Amino acid sequence: MSLLDFARGPAFHVAILIFVFGVVWRLVGVFLLRRNRDLSPARAGHLLEGGMRAILMRSLPPHELEKHIVFQHASGYGWHIAYFAAFLLFGPHMPFIRQFLGFTWPTLPNTWCLALAAIALALLIVLLLRRIVNPVLKRITSVDDYISSVVTMLPLITGIAANAHVQLFGVRYEELLALHVLSVCALLIWFPFGKLMHLFLAFPARFQAGVLLQRKGVEA
Amino acid sequence: MNATTFETFRTELAGLAGRAPRSTLTDAERVARAKAVIRRRVDGRNAAYLETCLHCGMCAEACHFYVGTGEAKYTPIYKVAPLRRVYRREIGPMRWWYRLVTRDISAAELEAFQELVFDSCTECGRCDLMCPMGIQISPMIGIMRQALTAAELAPAEYRAVKAEQTTAKKDLGIGPAEIAALAARLTAEGVKVPVDAAKADIVYFATSLDVRLFPESVKDAARIFNRLGASWTLLGRSAELLGTGESNTEVNVTGIVAEAEQRGAKILILPQCGHAYPRMRFEAANILARELPFEVLTIAEYIGRQLKNGKLKLKPIAGRPKVTYHDPCKQGRHGGVFEEPREAIKSLGLDLVEMESHGRTCYCCGGGGGQFLIDRAQRLRQRTFEIKMHEADATGAKSLVTSCNSCRYNFLAGAAQASWHTEVQSLVELVGRQLAD
Amino acid sequence: MDRMNQSVAEALAARGVSRRGFMKFCATTASLMALPPTLIPTIAAALEKAKRPSVIWLPFQECTGCTESLTRSNAPSIESLIFESISLDYQETLQAAAGFAAEEARNAAMEANWGQYLLAIDGSIPLGNPGYSTIGGVSNLDMLKHAAEGAKAIVAIGTCAAFGGLPNAHPNPTGAVAVSDIVKNKPIINISGCPPLPVAITGVLMQFLVFGQLPELDALGRPKVFFGQTIHDRCYRRPFYERGQFAESFDDEGAKHGWCLFKLGCKGPTTYNACATVKWNMATSFPIEAGHGCIGCSQPHFWDAGGFYEPLSTTRWGGWKQLGIAAAAGAAVGAAAALATRAGTGAAKKEEKTS
Repeated sequence: MSLLDFARGPAFHVAILIFVFGVVWRLVGVFLLRRNRDLSPARAGHLLEGGMRAILMRSLPPHELEKHIVFQHASGYGWHIAYFAAFLLFGPHMPFIRQFLGFTWPTLPNTWCLALAAIALALLIVLLLRRIVNPVLKRITSVDDYISSVVTMLPLITGIAANAHVQLFGVRYEELLALHVLSVCALLIWFPFGKLMHLFLAFPARFQAGVLLQRKGVEA
Repeated sequence: MNATTFETFRTELAGLAGRAPRSTLTDAERVARAKAVIRRRVDGRNAAYLETCLHCGMCAEACHFYVGTGEAKYTPIYKVAPLRRVYRREIGPMRWWYRLVTRDISAAELEAFQELVFDSCTECGRCDLMCPMGIQISPMIGIMRQALTAAELAPAEYRAVKAEQTTAKKDLGIGPAEIAALAARLTAEGVKVPVDAAKADIVYFATSLDVRLFPESVKDAARIFNRLGASWTLLGRSAELLGTGESNTEVNVTGIVAEAEQRGAKILILPQCGHAYPRMRFEAANILARELPFEVLTIAEYIGRQLKNGKLKLKPIAGRPKVTYHDPCKQGRHGGVFEEPREAIKSLGLDLVEMESHGRTCYCCGGGGGQFLIDRAQRLRQRTFEIKMHEADATGAKSLVTSCNSCRYNFLAGAAQASWHTEVQSLVELVGRQLAD
Repeated sequence: MDRMNQSVAEALAARGVSRRGFMKFCATTASLMALPPTLIPTIAAALEKAKRPSVIWLPFQECTGCTESLTRSNAPSIESLIFESISLDYQETLQAAAGFAAEEARNAAMEANWGQYLLAIDGSIPLGNPGYSTIGGVSNLDMLKHAAEGAKAIVAIGTCAAFGGLPNAHPNPTGAVAVSDIVKNKPIINISGCPPLPVAITGVLMQFLVFGQLPELDALGRPKVFFGQTIHDRCYRRPFYERGQFAESFDDEGAKHGWCLFKLGCKGPTTYNACATVKWNMATSFPIEAGHGCIGCSQPHFWDAGGFYEPLSTTRWGGWKQLGIAAAAGAAVGAAAALATRAGTGAAKKEEKTS
């Protein structure tokens, strides 16, 4: 079995099963914990609306707070958008997506996706370096942050390398493709155990904050 | 309030630490007690927050302790690191994994975090607004404080205050006798203050800061109630609602609710106090596990409401002086009381210029959550006070109005240190003196 | 003059190939092997001297497609000229003899040229049961072992001989293996493809004839000159791939416009062969040009690589049902964890509070 056959076959199979198993385990384990109903009267009604609104509005902090975090905010959203665009709008990825969803959508030319991927990678590298030198981040950073950073960057690095047919160290194109798929497997396997889970948790966490703040009559 | 009472109070606070009882718990006992609190108090909502932290560090940029000093250890989410570890190792769904890859908390670590959750956190909630994941950090700081208190690792000043409550049944020297004496004096001065009436629509109480430093705010509150012809009473008991221990919080809250209920209160009005408002307005019902049979308002809220419905009328202050308003964290960001104080300021004919950070983003006075008790944190308080000073100065206002006597004390202490000349004024006192005939 | 002692040039002249035709033949050979034009005189000189080598071609578990590919030309071509240049002493499809006579002729040729003949193999070797494929009662395995001993070099023609091919595909009922799985002590050149490009076979033979050595091989033993680049890298539809213009189904608008066939399962990116440049049927066309994706037939295990119409970016993920089972298992573990915590909290609440 070639490395690519292994990557697309048993490796991916195991990885996605671990991913689903782990994600559901973690989510169920958190959301089945005790949460008592709040018996205090809400200041304004529509608590659910407050929760939903927080999901959107938390991306837009008030001006007085925003001015302190502008760089981090912009680079964070910047790389997320570029990353997902490079993944979701790249033509050769569409058969992969169709496997799961049964449908696809229009895509961008390869050079645009390469540019987006490069932007995402550059921002990720800058943010990783920042994490290493910034005093606040040094204080709160854990091994999870580094692992999550690496497994996030590897699909970009291997994808760019494959797309550009990089020929360093005598590596062949099908091996680059295999590494790309294996890097996605690594991402899937690590996902439930680290902070990447915020993909699923961000929405309920923001919703909770929104409901609490709506009850108090404070903008979320 | 005069300079002597202020200085006496300040000196007394400086000596509090020396009156703290000694703690003889072993390290193992401390860890066990802290963990028991964490296990009791960390629920599904906290769990969702603890799982979602990205270690992005934005919370630091919201915290006046970090902004004032630049010290990374004041990053809000860092302050709850031991709690997060206990959650992951003993409560969360992946605890078997975390027990393998993380280490347990220790008494030494808990002791090291005392400074972080007491000296450098006032539970102001600004970090709760900032977090891109919506994490509500300040309630978890509250749990950390309860855990440390159970482990007898609260700062000496807190333990001294608690000891005074337990043995002398007084808060910073104030007990039922002192309250009764104040009520009698005010009544003699012409402002009737009923104490412990059998029945009343409105139940009000006075805090130790009110009695010791700001008795005028009790007088002016009484003037307002009397002018409105309200059926009201002052409670004769002292009402300390800061409480960093699990059960003493419960005991105090339960006691006040019982006193209000037995008098058939329709409204419990809280004085110009910080922690009291969210404690009674939002937490009490959940502590007692039942809906409260009365409304809970802070005095500023009550005033604003009565101005809006036309029942209260004020004479505007001459000259339309320029003021700025400080939203106390516990009433504003934690309570949602923004409009009513501004209604009052408008009716007083004042020219309000908002600070850059106002309303829900208002910076903390720096001494909330009982932080003003901690003597060794004075330098730290001063650094954060400078943030408020600069924001207030930038408005060009001659005075700073607020509706929390705790904030007021902190501003006065800070102003004395920094030789700041902006006047610090109390909303209820301004209103009480401008009642229209 | 018996054919085995003719030189290659003499054999070509005997067939009526003029001197000019012969030099053209040498020039074509040079360009086929990616050799510089300055070597053409060297090639000509070598072919004038080179004796026609003996080639024994043994067909094992094969479909005869490789022979067909090589011989199916109805105009004078390099391929047919090659057959004049070598002494093809055994080739079941092309030879006139059959039965015992054919086997005797083969053994005689092998003995006469022992240690010098080129052994060409097509088809895989079944190890499951020797009886699955025999020639004159002798199993392929035994025949290969014996013939390999006297060979100077072995050319494994076609994917079956090179890598096991179709018989080797899951579940491999005959236990089919490649030549290189059996023979370990002789140089083997794999000329894979199902079938291989005729020119790859002739190019290798020419290299052997002219230089007496085997061409530079890749990690899979294939001549780099033909198997050193992927179809993708030389495909004329590559600009469409880069522009993101793909045919979504056979005969749709994109297909009619000649857009990239990646989404229809083309394995061009991972297939090493010269089809995109040399093409088939005397440079007429190749699968992609005809509108069908490359099936990767020169790669090992191409039958088991997921499916000819499964694009390279698809994976074996197990399907929604399997994911559902994984989710249910995760939910069970998560629920158990949460319920255990809730029970613990209940117990902790009953404990006396210490502050």
